[in-house]
Amino acid sequence: MVRFLKKSSESPSSIEKKKVYNSLEKNIQEMKYLFSSNRNKDFSMRSLKIKFNNKEGCLFYYSSIVDGSKIDMHVIKPLLENEGNTVMNVVSIENIEETNEFSKVIQYMNSGKVILFIEEDASTYAMDVADFQHRSIFKSENEPTVKGPQDAFTESLNTNLSLIRKQLHNNQLINEGIQIGKRSINEVNMIYIKDVVNNEILEQVREKLNNISVDSVRNVELLEQYIEERPYSVIPTVLYTERPDKATSYLEDGFIVLLMDSSSACLIVPVTFWSFFHSPEDRYLRFLYGNFTRAIRLLCFYLTLMISASYVAISNFHSEMIPPDLLLAITASRERVPFPLIFEVLIMEIAFELIREAGLRIPNPLGPTIGIVGALILGQAAVEANIISPIIVIIAALSGLSSFALADLNINFMVRLMRFVFILAAGAFGMLALTGVFLLFFMYAASVKSFGVPFFSPMSPHFLSPEDTVFRKPVKKELFRPGYLYPKDIQKKSKS
Amino acid sequence: MQNNGYLRIKEIAAMTLLLVGIKLSDSTPALLAQKAQNGFWLIPLLSFICIFPGFLIMLYLLKKYQDKNLIELMEAITGKWIGKGIGIVIFLFALLTITFDSRNYIEQIGLLYFPKSPTIVLFFIFIGIVFFGAKKGIEVIGETSWLFLTVIKISASLVILLSLGEVVMQRVFPIFGSGITNILTEGVKKASLFAELFFLLIAYKVTKASSMFSKGIVIASFITLFEITLFYFVYITVFDYNSIAKIAFPFHDLTQFINLGNFFTNIETLFMVFWLFAAFLKFIIFIYLATWIFGEIFAIRNFEPLLLPFSFLVIMIGQLPFNSIINELILREMLLTIMSPFFIILPYVLWGIAWGKGELK
Repeated sequence: MVRFLKKSSESPSSIEKKKVYNSLEKNIQEMKYLFSSNRNKDFSMRSLKIKFNNKEGCLFYYSSIVDGSKIDMHVIKPLLENEGNTVMNVVSIENIEETNEFSKVIQYMNSGKVILFIEEDASTYAMDVADFQHRSIFKSENEPTVKGPQDAFTESLNTNLSLIRKQLHNNQLINEGIQIGKRSINEVNMIYIKDVVNNEILEQVREKLNNISVDSVRNVELLEQYIEERPYSVIPTVLYTERPDKATSYLEDGFIVLLMDSSSACLIVPVTFWSFFHSPEDRYLRFLYGNFTRAIRLLCFYLTLMISASYVAISNFHSEMIPPDLLLAITASRERVPFPLIFEVLIMEIAFELIREAGLRIPNPLGPTIGIVGALILGQAAVEANIISPIIVIIAALSGLSSFALADLNINFMVRLMRFVFILAAGAFGMLALTGVFLLFFMYAASVKSFGVPFFSPMSPHFLSPEDTVFRKPVKKELFRPGYLYPKDIQKKSKS
Repeated sequence: MQNNGYLRIKEIAAMTLLLVGIKLSDSTPALLAQKAQNGFWLIPLLSFICIFPGFLIMLYLLKKYQDKNLIELMEAITGKWIGKGIGIVIFLFALLTITFDSRNYIEQIGLLYFPKSPTIVLFFIFIGIVFFGAKKGIEVIGETSWLFLTVIKISASLVILLSLGEVVMQRVFPIFGSGITNILTEGVKKASLFAELFFLLIAYKVTKASSMFSKGIVIASFITLFEITLFYFVYITVFDYNSIAKIAFPFHDLTQFINLGNFFTNIETLFMVFWLFAAFLKFIIFIYLATWIFGEIFAIRNFEPLLLPFSFLVIMIGQLPFNSIINELILREMLLTIMSPFFIILPYVLWGIAWGKGELK
């Protein structure tokens, strides 16, 4: 086994050192060997007689990832017809790179370039004719807003970048590429504003990316799990969004955005609790309206996290708190239900999660059916069969519905998971355990750091910032960038 | 121990407010009312006057001897061994205060909300949560204190607001209760009501700048004094002196007394939630400080693993008193009476020695 491992790791390194030969014949042999031309159907080569230096030449490319007409018009035609003294002056391709290593050649081929070998030339020319297929830009479906730009990222790096640059006309906006992966070499693009971003955080992110040592990282969704600090933690430390306007607003504040060619979303680091809590629409809405939605969202946060647990705690341990009339109503509704209360709540919460998960996976045409079945069975039949009491349906619906107000997927999962912990705590020792567990959860969250940034900053520990936490200030009064990022330029707007 | 300089004035103030200020809601009023009767709301005022100048001297000394905390300061002034000796006394005071107080709090929780649960189970749950909280370190504790302070204080203000209707002003007379001499002696004897301020000094270097620590703790001391006096005043005017001496937990009795309109008539659980937050945080802060003092004395830099044995110790010692009456009215009273002269005199002695050695120039 060890020998086998050793052997397999040897072969790529031998390619790495191999230089391009002087003879065209040998180069063609090597290329055919490297790309297994006899089996690989979309590996294409075309020999031609180059006019300007009157030598034999050969082009290699993957037909599936290049633009055929572009090769035709801008590479083959000029090579066959045009006069000139070098390749650069003959072909009309915007981006040409010269190399003499086969490892580079492989990388260029994979990224959609056409490679030109020439007789008696020990270097090759890689011309960018890539045309990877991708969706066009669609409306943001997972993070919709009523007021605000509607476009979402798509699975193309260049398109995504253009969506960002469209909103941020700044020559300091840098797009830095970092290659990761051993077998499939993919590029992660680190986007930041050079004269705002903090160098230490930038270096930390760069180091994290460089230290990833795996065969391949296909997309940002996987990248997220490679760069986070606590993989077992319930609390997310990387923000994931598909909205370019959200990404841009974070860039402006000195955050770092990570993009990859294969994902219709980006990652934003570092994050705080508030990045998960906010939605871009809060800022597009006027001051009062935006803060109203924030207040509603805070309520939803409480409801989805606590309502079931509070109900369990109060009705099991502190029933004297409930006003007598309501208490009688609850008791009457529970009269014929055989299960203990906590069991009832758990049944309903799990049922809701079931509907949710099934609804997500179900093929589109069947969608409405599950809604009817779910509502009918869980809402009505279960009550009529005395499995659960009607009040639990209200509680579970409230907690399930509220969870949708927390748009971010990561925080949504965190809340949905913690809910069960709270229910169990409340079932065990009422408010004593519930407050205790909540306090511990809160303290744990406070101790979490994302790339060195405490989770609840700037509220505590305090930093100069736009003070955009639970509520936000009027946009005109936001003077500073978030100080917890230690940006190079903290002043956002001068006081006047 | 982490120190990123995240703690500032407000976090220190929040910790002080929670650690000292929560006295308004435990059984201390009953303890004080035994002798002073309806003049007992003046006692915190007198205690504060007794102990606060000394505390300011401590802050002054800490400022003079820069980069030192409570234990290091005493070692620098009195020499290594005497300093450590005084340190151990302070540590024992802290540990005993935690123990008696926690027993007291457990009894409150048990009596009022979980009458069927055995004390030991409640003790394990309570101190267990406190232990895991304290494990998070002083910065997280400070931040959490600040973030929770707002809601805790809002709920406390709500209690005051709702109880205003029950207040009968005439009950405050005779203003000195059982007599001015009684009040004065009790005031001095119970000066250690504010002894927690001294324990907090161990965290002197935790803030970004030491001036922030001093400012935070001084501001918070005055707010605490105001709060405690206000609440004691409300107790005396709502319950009158005869019942206050018999009511073990006036805060909880007050919350059972008040209504929020005609529909919500039993809202004590609502206040109990915030009171529990405050209580958890108090003991989290307290046990962390005590362990820190111990770690400083025996030069254990990484003292946080000691939290576990000390938490266990607190539970075990907390079990020893036969019942809450003995715990509260005999043991805790004795401890307070012993601690008072110690903390009143200690700063002056330290200051005298330092002055004598000519280190204050």
